[in-house]
Amino acid sequence: MKKLITLLITLPSFLITLNSCGEADEQQQEWSVSGEGISIEGAWARPASEGRMSAAYFLITNFEDEDDRLIGVRSDVARMVEIHESYEGENDMMGMREVPEIELPANETVRFEQGGLHIMLIQATRQLAEGDTFELTLEFENSGEQTIEVPIRN
Amino acid sequence: MRFTIITSLIILAAILLSACSEPALDDYSDVSYELIDQNGETVTFPDDFEGSPLVVGFIYTHCPDICSFITANVGKVYNEMDNPGDTKFLLVTFDPDRDTPEVLKSYAAAFEMDREPFRFLTGDPDTIDDFMRRVSVRTQESYTRDMDDGERLYFLSHSDKILLIDQNSRLIFDYGGSMTPVNIIIEDLEKLGP
Repeated sequence: MKKLITLLITLPSFLITLNSCGEADEQQQEWSVSGEGISIEGAWARPASEGRMSAAYFLITNFEDEDDRLIGVRSDVARMVEIHESYEGENDMMGMREVPEIELPANETVRFEQGGLHIMLIQATRQLAEGDTFELTLEFENSGEQTIEVPIRN
Repeated sequence: MRFTIITSLIILAAILLSACSEPALDDYSDVSYELIDQNGETVTFPDDFEGSPLVVGFIYTHCPDICSFITANVGKVYNEMDNPGDTKFLLVTFDPDRDTPEVLKSYAAAFEMDREPFRFLTGDPDTIDDFMRRVSVRTQESYTRDMDDGERLYFLSHSDKILLIDQNSRLIFDYGGSMTPVNIIIEDLEKLGP
């Protein structure tokens, strides 16, 4: 049976700090998504030249009544594929760290997005240009595996 | 008498216009950094760009997340400007050991930015160090990965920055490079005038 989940999404990327002006703005969007099981929507990845890095982004919604976990990712598009997270450290510097697994609470959406969680593609095995696609397999603790098509775009 | 009034009005207008212009955060006209672009051509910053507004992002090509957004944002500023005029768009690496001109050319091509008015710049490590210090871009090794062939990959924590520099090599704005909506940068660029 399909479920409907209403999401209140805060977009921190719209929180802007301009050193000279101190302007700040924040936007919120609310929308509904429906589905069943584990749903992966809006997948895309950045361009990369062969041997370089890229990152994939998407939304994962767990429509089940039980929590799940993303426990692995794989693809032949890169020599190593890992779950990573960008974070803001000391002195306003942006850093990155590996995250072994991601909790997927029941009836909630987890965002893989710019400056946060992303799938790290280490050393692309081929040029990834706008319009290309590649397959990415995600492994869940309770829901098995899903393979999705990820388009490259700028 | 009439001449004096007109002269006074002109001086007053000049003062008012000066007061309306954006105050500079820094002035780079006293520095000179010899860099190399993705085509292997020597470029001197800021001398070679004097007379052109500059949008400058700071990146390294092993960075998959933040730097790709900085690069894409610089590209979008150009693509979404009605009249970019003589504005130049620079991406400068802070990882010169790995980001050679050839690597930068390939990276630029992946973003469809290996073309005018974009320049991807590297240089010798000492020059890049001096440049980064002057523009307050900080870097620090944060994460390493050993590949199965024995190669050791390293990643950097770094400042997230795009600069807007005016025609006289003065720093006018300093943005969060991956986070700032490009329309804000475009509006600020338009304030600089032709």
